[in-house]
Amino acid sequence: MKWTYNNRANAIYFIIAAFLLLLPFVHDSRSLFILLTQVFIFSIFAMSYDLLLGFTGIVSFGHAMYFGIGAYAIGVFMKRYEPTNLNFVLAILTTILLTAIISFFVGLLTLRLKSHFYAMLTLSLSGLFLVLAEKWRTLTYGNDGFTFRVPEILKDRTDFYFICLICMIAVFLILSRFTNSPVGRVLQAIRENEQRTESLGYQVLHYKIIASIISGIFAGIAGILYAVSLRFVNTSVFALDITLDALLMTIIGGVGTLVGAIIGAGLIEFAHHWLTALAKEHWIFERWIIFFGIIYILAVMFFPLGIVGTLKSINWKRRKKPDVKKEEKLAG
Amino acid sequence: MSELLKLNAVETYIGQYHILQGVSLEVKKGEVTVLLGRNGAGKTTTLRTIMGLNPASKGAITYKGEDIKKLPTYLVAKKGIGYVPEDQGIFADLTVEENMKVAIQKDNQETLDRMDWILDLFPDLKKFWKKPGGLLSGGQKQMLSIARAYINNNELLLIDEPSKGLAPIVVEKVMESIIQMKEQTTIVLVEQNFMMASTIGDCFYIIDDGRTVSHGVMNQLKQDADMRRKYLGIA
Amino acid sequence: MDVLLNLSLNGLATGMLIFLLAAGLTLILGLMDVLNFAHGGLFAWGAYSGIWIYSKTGSFFIGILGAILVGFLLGILTERWIIKPVYGNHVQQILITLGLMLVLSEMLKVVWGPNQISANPPDYLVGSWEIGGVIIIKYRLFIIFVGLLVFAAVQFLLSKTKIGLVVRAGVMNKEMVQALGINIQKVFMFVFMIGAGMAALGGVLLGPYSGVIHAEMGLEFAILAFIVVVIGGMGNFKGSLLAAALVGLSGSFMAYYVPDLALAANMLLMAVVLVFRPQGLFGMKG
Repeated sequence: MKWTYNNRANAIYFIIAAFLLLLPFVHDSRSLFILLTQVFIFSIFAMSYDLLLGFTGIVSFGHAMYFGIGAYAIGVFMKRYEPTNLNFVLAILTTILLTAIISFFVGLLTLRLKSHFYAMLTLSLSGLFLVLAEKWRTLTYGNDGFTFRVPEILKDRTDFYFICLICMIAVFLILSRFTNSPVGRVLQAIRENEQRTESLGYQVLHYKIIASIISGIFAGIAGILYAVSLRFVNTSVFALDITLDALLMTIIGGVGTLVGAIIGAGLIEFAHHWLTALAKEHWIFERWIIFFGIIYILAVMFFPLGIVGTLKSINWKRRKKPDVKKEEKLAG
Repeated sequence: MSELLKLNAVETYIGQYHILQGVSLEVKKGEVTVLLGRNGAGKTTTLRTIMGLNPASKGAITYKGEDIKKLPTYLVAKKGIGYVPEDQGIFADLTVEENMKVAIQKDNQETLDRMDWILDLFPDLKKFWKKPGGLLSGGQKQMLSIARAYINNNELLLIDEPSKGLAPIVVEKVMESIIQMKEQTTIVLVEQNFMMASTIGDCFYIIDDGRTVSHGVMNQLKQDADMRRKYLGIA
Repeated sequence: MDVLLNLSLNGLATGMLIFLLAAGLTLILGLMDVLNFAHGGLFAWGAYSGIWIYSKTGSFFIGILGAILVGFLLGILTERWIIKPVYGNHVQQILITLGLMLVLSEMLKVVWGPNQISANPPDYLVGSWEIGGVIIIKYRLFIIFVGLLVFAAVQFLLSKTKIGLVVRAGVMNKEMVQALGINIQKVFMFVFMIGAGMAALGGVLLGPYSGVIHAEMGLEFAILAFIVVVIGGMGNFKGSLLAAALVGLSGSFMAYYVPDLALAANMLLMAVVLVFRPQGLFGMKG
């Protein structure tokens, strides 16, 4: 039964992906494509976050750090050197290297300790990067940031739409594959019960660090795409808001599902767009973050499974005997 | 004699594990009831369930005829039940005096008198009065924990494996003190040490795989080698 | 010499403000195992409400009292409505406090507007004393004095009163405290209230010290306070005072000599502590 369920889900994903791929050929709305491109980029970012929070049970409050590193890496390469394809590749490699090194050390320092530490250290570190981006003016132009040119291949909006969509699908497939791999299973075992996983002979720390690194790298890639989409980068890429976006998207969409991250990204990005427009109508909508904050708190409290998780559990309930569900709940 | 505490078909989950699957027992006032059984049978969980530390999901727990199953731990304690956990639960950085002070609920003459009586029973505590609890020996920690559980004149004490990890000579000392306490209060004792259990205990319950499987007066068990072998793995 | 002394006083004053924030964090963490990421929000609320009351009444003292009361109230509400519903689930607790941080700082902007607000010390704390050729700014000394006073008061509370005893016992073994007939929920609420009050006090004291208050200062100071909690040892109240002084001093000296590296230096210190002494520089237990 699980098999048919998965197949149906895969069919739905396929149809949606095909629809999104065909959309530019039948419809022509610049603002919609820009918005959808943002959704794809933040989907990648949110999925990278979901790998930590949803699949491994690690809370990061500094995910913006990896995002920002990617954004600045591409910006600096394109600004200081020619915007060639080679430099673009170099920027990607730099991002991967930097995010991998930093996430490795953050993981090494904190992941053997209580979950508080990772959250705290990532929050403080991203604060440090924010300051660094403000102060290292020769490289970053401080608060104001800078615009840059992008390689020919990324110039066309429609092409870039396809690139981001394909990246998102690729990241989704890679992470689905990864979370279903033996390593991914261990990560989920760690989330459920760390001591037991340790006592089964797994080096929990190693697995957590692996999750931290992979998550960091994908967040960096999302940052690259984000900066390219704006052709501009400033210190806001390191701000807590970016991390909060990822948190909101994964939590509202549903942790530990990957699809949830994508749905969450879609919802939040469209809501951003809509609420920003409403700000012209009434001043309270300028503070729209407050609504997100409240929704987020309520979601954590009453709706911890998110949209996808709740749908799945309803589905599950219909198919299985109810007492299975009960046991699951006790474990949580 | 009437029963002070009664458990009827109590079931308890810890996480997803169904630890207690039907524990029923009656504790009579003034007696020492011993819970016996193999490691992991559910004896400690039974005590923790009574205290509300691992709340029961099914069954009934009544103390003096009152349902206490749903009460939070601190209210169970306030009903007059003292608890001595397996690890003694000593506050390591607090002095012996402070450990006692945390427990004291009424600061009156009666408590002071009882304190004197307890300190006579456990002179070591007086000796280390101002020392941190963490520096006490295993036996002294056990004494402090028992003293702390009794200071409020609790009518029922739940004591979890007081002999665990103690040298035989210390076990004897702890045992003697429990025999003295027995004059004052009712005791539920979890004990693996059959010598100790059979010396102090008036009646017994055997717990196996989360169920009470047998009970009776201690003398029966002393004579029934078969049962001892079956459930306790001792001859 | 003049510079050194002034930098030290400056560092100690900043350290005291960080201490007021970190002390509550560390107590709440030690007792309840909750790292309150909204603590900086309480700090900022203390600053805004205190400065507002100060400007309305003209009395700095009433402003301080008002800020502490607002802190107490927010602390109680936070514990009741935000922390307690997800009690026992670390991940949910961490997540939810960050959400609260967001809501608190946005609410500030709704109530008092998004722009920064200026604040000045009252007349009797303006200016400086000159002692033996050294100029000492009054307000800095005042902050250090208040910080030490709060430290002494809380230290007294912890070591000499029954509730303090219970708090210390609860840090070591929550279950046992309950099994001894103590309602730990009430203790939690009390500690949360005190912690929030201290944070709010820190916030209102910062106002006239830095001259302006803005909504983001909560997060800035919270990051420093986290560093202090790690260096001082989680749950270690005395450690948080020493660590706060250390972080304040290193911040002030670094800011004078190599300004761009002030935060980095403290982060580095935290990283070193995490590697070699995760129980904190001043912690005893493992």
